[in-house]
Amino acid sequence: MKRYLNVLLGVLTAIGGFVDIGDLVTNAQVGARFGLSLVWVVVIGVIGICVFAEMSGRIAAVSHRATFDLVRERLGPRMGFVNLVGSMLVTLLTFIAEIGGVALALQLVTSVNHVLVVPFVAAAVWIVLWRAKFSSIENVLGLLGLTLIGFAVALWQLGPDWGELAASLGEKPAQESWATYAFFGVALFGAAMTPYEVFFFSSGGVEERWTRKDIGVMRANVFIGFPLGGLLSVAIAGCAAVVLMPQGIAVETLGQVALPVAVALGKVGLAIIVLGFFAATFGAACETGLSTGYSLAQYFGFQWGKYVRPDEAAGFHVILLVATVLAAGVLLTGVDPIMVTEISVVFSAVALPLTYFPILVVANDPDYLGEHRNGRVANLLGVGYLVVITLSAIAAIPLMIVTSMGQG
Amino acid sequence: MTGPAYDAALHLLDRQVVDSEGRMVCKVDDLELTVGDGGELVPTGLLVGLPALLPRFGRRIGAELTRTHARIFEAQAHRTSPDVVDIDLVEEVDSEVRLSVPRAGLLRPRDDDPSGPERVRLGDLLGLPVTAAPGHGLHRGSRLLDVRLVAVPDGRRHVVDALVVGPGRPGALLGYDRRSEPGPWLVADLVRWLHRHARVVGVGPEVVIDREDRVVRVGPGASVRPLLG
Repeated sequence: MKRYLNVLLGVLTAIGGFVDIGDLVTNAQVGARFGLSLVWVVVIGVIGICVFAEMSGRIAAVSHRATFDLVRERLGPRMGFVNLVGSMLVTLLTFIAEIGGVALALQLVTSVNHVLVVPFVAAAVWIVLWRAKFSSIENVLGLLGLTLIGFAVALWQLGPDWGELAASLGEKPAQESWATYAFFGVALFGAAMTPYEVFFFSSGGVEERWTRKDIGVMRANVFIGFPLGGLLSVAIAGCAAVVLMPQGIAVETLGQVALPVAVALGKVGLAIIVLGFFAATFGAACETGLSTGYSLAQYFGFQWGKYVRPDEAAGFHVILLVATVLAAGVLLTGVDPIMVTEISVVFSAVALPLTYFPILVVANDPDYLGEHRNGRVANLLGVGYLVVITLSAIAAIPLMIVTSMGQG
Repeated sequence: MTGPAYDAALHLLDRQVVDSEGRMVCKVDDLELTVGDGGELVPTGLLVGLPALLPRFGRRIGAELTRTHARIFEAQAHRTSPDVVDIDLVEEVDSEVRLSVPRAGLLRPRDDDPSGPERVRLGDLLGLPVTAAPGHGLHRGSRLLDVRLVAVPDGRRHVVDALVVGPGRPGALLGYDRRSEPGPWLVADLVRWLHRHARVVGVGPEVVIDREDRVVRVGPGASVRPLLG
């Protein structure tokens, strides 16, 4: 019985933990401009993150090695370092965006300018990273994040013409160019497959001391939780497509992301959704913050993790503090967190192959995985996604320039 | 150490070192090899810290980084000598390197007197060009890619038994060049094709690692066999 409860808890937190500031903003933006015509990218992205997370989770369970251990072992110290710098920059950018997202969510409630809220949010994030238990961070915030199901309820309450909505699935709106369509496709892919999710997932496996026996539970979390989280993403896009697109409203604030829910469900619905924003972004802020510490410590080999006392992993906790101060400092310049989010999802797509490739290689290595190494299906999907991820990484920056971040 | 034979760069370098209580200590930043009486190379220590890691960033960048590091820590006596974990403290090598002692106060540089045995770093040897008489089947651009360690019969020690040489192309650390079974086919086949000229050269009197001239000389009588197979 306890085992089933554990699976249920894992699945629920995976759903709530799937959505972060990148998914919220990008899905709403895409919904408002392209309707549901880019939903297929979310589907590809969700399958991709399942493939990636399952491989790294399996490696963590069998060999107790997390992502950056493998990056350095398989690419050597020099390429590994280049990889570390690239991935750290993207993770930091995402960390900044998540803390900004928490501040924006609080601004929706209190009407206090988000810049003023940032120091308090950063302090709260750091205290949680320092003091809270790993499992409580994951479970409490993951479960609270489930309130984002409000988007699905709102979509149903809005009562759109489902046939019309379904018809828009494969159809690019005539007023948008193919370049912007492709750009937002890459951004949506980057939002669904953010690299930190996998650093966090595999390091979390080591934190929770997974063994071979936990592979089944891990798979259930991934293969049920992530797709359901992906459905939430689609619901966010759907709400925006039904309410914002006909009015020609472009999403530039977090308030506009929540607007369709306010229209459909009124004040209570809005309150629930804002709680969901807070939980999802706060949870992701903790995950990205931890990921900066995980990556550096795993490259250099010093003790990391919340499974030991903070003084046994002192270097790791110093990094968490420095990263949090740095992120708060950037936000205090008054930079728009939504813009940081837009940039971070694009660079997520750029950085993805750096960690995906070593994981795919090690997932095939009998020295690490023995009988649990990739089978035929895992490799077929694995190589397929290697191609997809590489193409989107190559296309991301040129598309960003050509479309002026999607404005053209 | 366990395992009858393994390749040092592929299976030991850059692995996580864990102490007797399961806490993380460091990475294997480099490997210390001691030159024995008969000229054989015996791994004697794991080298740790930036003075060991930075030179591995490549000949030019690595040297520059090492100099910069030494300049920053000018007041430290041991600024260019890495810390050492004696190989006898290593209990097991698999996906991590487990030590038999706790980590507190473990890392310190080796206190060697200059008349002692000669020691070299594996990182210094990797990448050395290999010259051989034609007819051996060694590719002209061959370099030292890895060293194969074999347990000596009397017990715990290992010794360098063979050299893995081949044109220094990317992907040697992925492991596909050493084994034929693992996939995925597209990546594996590409790496194996890139490393089709890689060979294993048995260490013997015909094989000389000349550290002065920075070259590995393979004589006509040396045993050379393909890496895969």
